Amino acid sequence: MSGTEKAGSGTTKTPADFLKSIRGRPVVVKLNSGVDYRGILACLDGYMNIAMEQTEEYVNGQLKNKYGDAFIRGNNVLYISTSKRTLAEGA
Amino acid sequence: MANNPSQLLPSELIDRCIGSKIWVIMKGDKELVGTLRGFDVYVNMVLEDVTEYEITAEGRRITKLDQILLNGNNIAILFLASVILILAIIWLHAVGPWWFS
Repeated sequence: MSGTEKAGSGTTKTPADFLKSIRGRPVVVKLNSGVDYRGILACLDGYMNIAMEQTEEYVNGQLKNKYGDAFIRGNNVLYISTSKRTLAEGA
Repeated sequence: MANNPSQLLPSELIDRCIGSKIWVIMKGDKELVGTLRGFDVYVNMVLEDVTEYEITAEGRRITKLDQILLNGNNIAILFLASVILILAIIWLHAVGPWWFS
């Protein structure tokens, strides 16, 4: 996409590749405010606007709310993480 | 400019980090260390085996993440892992009291 692919670099994964690979999977979305949203990623675009299903809101690791569907506007997103393993938070 | 071999574009510098562990310092009290897999023109980055460090009211919080897409908006500084070692020594001196708590 941005011409930054290395020839023969099988490990390169651009943001666009990542977005394609995580559709329909459980993810953790962290906002700039520090709040986490965990759920199934239904849909997203290049601006990191996100639609999620079975969404749970965590503030400082504590579950605060549950939403069936949620839309997150992309400008608030710090990162999107695959949640293959549970978060291990130190003290 | 682009055809002068001694001129290195910023994106070329990041491109050379692909596959290496990098230290990302964000605006605010947040840092991440992980292996860079790729990035785009906005310097959104795909990172693997990530450790996220935050300074909170309750002290330092460490979070382990498998693979993330990091929004490039709030990235301030990138370091290669080879530089991290030197800075880690300096950092350990600075935060020694925490280290021994």
